[in-house]
Parts: sequence; C-alpha cells; structure tokens
Amino acid sequence: MEDKMYRVEHLKKTFQSANGNRVQVFHDLSMDIQKGKITAVLGPSGCGKSTLLNILARFESYESGTISIPNNVGVVFQSPALFPWLTVEQNVAYGLKRRGIRKKERKDQIVKYLQLVQLEEYAAYYPSELSGGMQQRVALARTLILHPEVLLMDEPFSALDPKLRVQMQQLTLELWKELGQTILIVTHDVEEALILADTIYVMEECPEGIRKKIEVPWQEKCDLIRNTKEFFELKNSLLNN
Amino acid sequence: MGLLLPVAVLIIWFVVTSDESMPNYVLPSPKEFAIVFWNFIFGGADASPYSGKMLENLQVSALRVAKGFAFAGIVGIIGGFLTGRVPLLRKIVDPTVQALRSVPGIGYLPLGMVWFGVGEENTLFLISLAAFFPVYLNTQEGAARVPELYLRAGRMLGAERLTLFFTVIFPATFHNVVVGLRLALGISWAYLVLGEMTGVTKGIGAIMMDGRMLGHVDIVIACMVVIAVTGKLCDWILMAVCQVFAKRLMEENSDGR
Repeated sequence: MEDKMYRVEHLKKTFQSANGNRVQVFHDLSMDIQKGKITAVLGPSGCGKSTLLNILARFESYESGTISIPNNVGVVFQSPALFPWLTVEQNVAYGLKRRGIRKKERKDQIVKYLQLVQLEEYAAYYPSELSGGMQQRVALARTLILHPEVLLMDEPFSALDPKLRVQMQQLTLELWKELGQTILIVTHDVEEALILADTIYVMEECPEGIRKKIEVPWQEKCDLIRNTKEFFELKNSLLNN
Repeated sequence: MGLLLPVAVLIIWFVVTSDESMPNYVLPSPKEFAIVFWNFIFGGADASPYSGKMLENLQVSALRVAKGFAFAGIVGIIGGFLTGRVPLLRKIVDPTVQALRSVPGIGYLPLGMVWFGVGEENTLFLISLAAFFPVYLNTQEGAARVPELYLRAGRMLGAERLTLFFTVIFPATFHNVVVGLRLALGISWAYLVLGEMTGVTKGIGAIMMDGRMLGHVDIVIACMVVIAVTGKLCDWILMAVCQVFAKRLMEENSDGR
C-alpha cells in the first residue's frame, strides 16, 4: 500500500555563522506530512522553521537524517518573488515552459489557474502594477500549476494587512479543497495555523526542535471556526506556553 | 526645454562676433560658420579641401567606433557575467582589472603608439580598452546582485544552469548591461577622436587636427557638432536596439515557440 505520509526523520542542521561560530539549528527533528492535508509548523522567529522549509525545498543542505519528500516541491515565499520582467501570464507560464509543455496546452492551464486565484483579468499586467496580495496570488498560481507533490509556504501572508491575510487564508483553503494539494505552511501566527492546518507542529527556540504535535479537533475547516469555544481554548493554550 | 540652452549660446555667439573685435580665425560668426558647415556636408559652395568630405570621413570614424565598441561590449559583457557570478574568478581577475582601470585611458596612448604605431590599430586599441571598463563593471555589479530569491524561485520552477542564466540571471542584469553599454558608446566616441588626432588620414578627428593646423577653426567646430549629433544619434539607436532586444528576450522566456 502506498504510504499516506511523507516522513522527515532525525534531521540535524548546524549553521556556520559569519564570525565562525557553529550554531545548532536543530539536532533531531522528526515530523510527518500527511498527503492531501495541510500541516503547519508554528514557532517564534529564530526557531529554525524557515531553515526547515529551506531544507525541504532543497535550498539548504543538512548534516544527517532522512527526508522522503520527492524533488518536485513548490514553494511560495514570504515575498512573492515574481520575475518583474515578465507579465502575470508569463510568470505563471514560466514553470510550464521549463517542462516543455506546448503553447496551446499552456494557455488553457494558465487561464484555469488564473481563474482559481481570481486574477484572469490581470494576465497582461506586470507584477509591479499589482498589490502585494495579488502578487502573492500570482505566486500561488505559478507554483500550483506545476502540481507539486508538496506545496511549501514560508510565512506567505505575514507581509499583508490583517483583513487581506484572512482573505488569503480562505483562498488557500479553497484551493486546497479544489486541488487536494498537500501543503506544509510555516508561520508564527497561531490563528493562521489553527485555521489552515490539520496537524500543527509547535517548534521551540533553537536548538530544541519540535516540542509538540497537535491534531486540530474539528472536522470541517472554514473561517467560522474562529468563533467557536474550542478554537479559543486551543489558541489560548498555544499562546500561553 | 532642451533647446533653451543651445538658443542662448547661439545668441551670445551672434553678439560676440557682431563687431570686428573677434578675429575670424579664433571664432567665426554664425553666418560664416553655417556656410562652411553646409559646404562641409554637401560641398559646392567653395573649393576648400573639406568641401563635401563630411560623410566619407564620418563613415570611416563610425566604422572604427563600431568595431571598438563591439569588441569592448562583447568582452565586457562576457567578462562581467563570469566575474559577477563566479566569486573565485572575481577574486582572481578583479584586482588586476581595477589596477588597469586606475590608469586613465589617455595614459595608454604612448604605449599604444609603440605597440600599434600611429593610426588605425592604435585607435581601435584605445576605444576597445576605454569602452571595456564601464560595460565590464556595470555587468559585473548587476550579475553579482541578482537577488538570491529569484534564483531560488527559478530553480524551484525547474530552471537550471544555462536556462537559469538566460531566463533569470540575464534578464535581471539586463538593465545594468544597458547602462554600461550607453556609457561605453559615449566613451568610444571620445577615444575615437583621441586616436584619430594622432595620425590617421581619414576620419572626423583627423579633419579636426588638420583644420587646427591650417587655421580653420570653423571646420574644427563643424567636426565637433558632427560628433555631438552622431553621438546622440548612436545613443538613440542603441537604446532602441536594446528595447527591441529586451522585448524579444522577455517574450521568448515565456510565450514564444
């Protein structure tokens, strides 16, 4: 039977700082990423959660441990990181073109994914002509269009204002429901983790790694969860220790 | 608004040359100058040795600029990208290049005369050398500063090595390359004149030197105007070519084929 999850086991990472000191980021980090679900890594800044994501994305090396995630991962960065010399459409087409997809097929795909992030009217715009939230939606589209095994999101909405952040979280949930995409999101925002994730890994400051694993108790994910007693209690318990 | 200053200069020129206090061989009046200039371009007005000689000399000069500029541009862009992207190469090459650069271009004139003699090759040597630095330095600067985030995004989306270079590093650096090329083109014209003044028979610089020796200040000024106009024209052409190229490049990246 096919494995239902990707595993990260006994991961060890040490970071050589500029002044020559060796800083241990984590020495024995293990976690599971369930296929088709959303997993959140929650922790304060400086806990190594971005480093973890960079390792999973193959941007950074690690010393020991095993990772069962395939090479085909997509990343949505903290800033949109769109190519400013390409239009929205061309940015979304970039990855498809690298995979040698024909023009006709590309067009259909691009239209579909721009509709998914509600930007079909902005196909011909340049990134600099869009707001931060819209740029991040383009970044989502250009990554999702490649059907990555795992979508890694690195504090993707932390630069947006609160109202927009909530909208982007809802959009993420919609896309997840529509595509059944496996997602790993790194965040320092407790509410964001609770709203989006099925499983939350709480990280400690360096080099403690993961402190605990929480499975959210509710079945259906939606924004109304915010108003329930369970949500408040869970949020408070996460904030207080 | 750009015309304000030239018009003012023209008025002052009229005033200074209106009485006899300014001798003709130092500064001719605008009217005399216009006649000489016209004659220089189209010929026919009088039988001076410069009559109708502008175009053929400009062609010779422009070809020299084109050769030197092309050489400097190609070597500068390739060198700039290599040292900009490969830190080890930069550490090896850059100190030497910086040292060479600290000698002003004109300082290479005597050496050029010894190596290449006076004339064609020496002129090309001076143009290539002087125009190389701005292209090299600007390209290097841009290439070294391509944000790491773009590279990560490019790799994540499936670009590697050469593809990454042509679809991410090159477009991200293109603006710097254009800045370098524009500076280099201006410098090319400057060193053309220097090279041509040192002993070639044809070329705008040669005519200038000739005019000075024979006391034709009017033809010297005429040559300066020709260089000014041609230089500006070259800049426009370069910009237009770069814009077309940029557009092609960006489209090819994503939607051509």
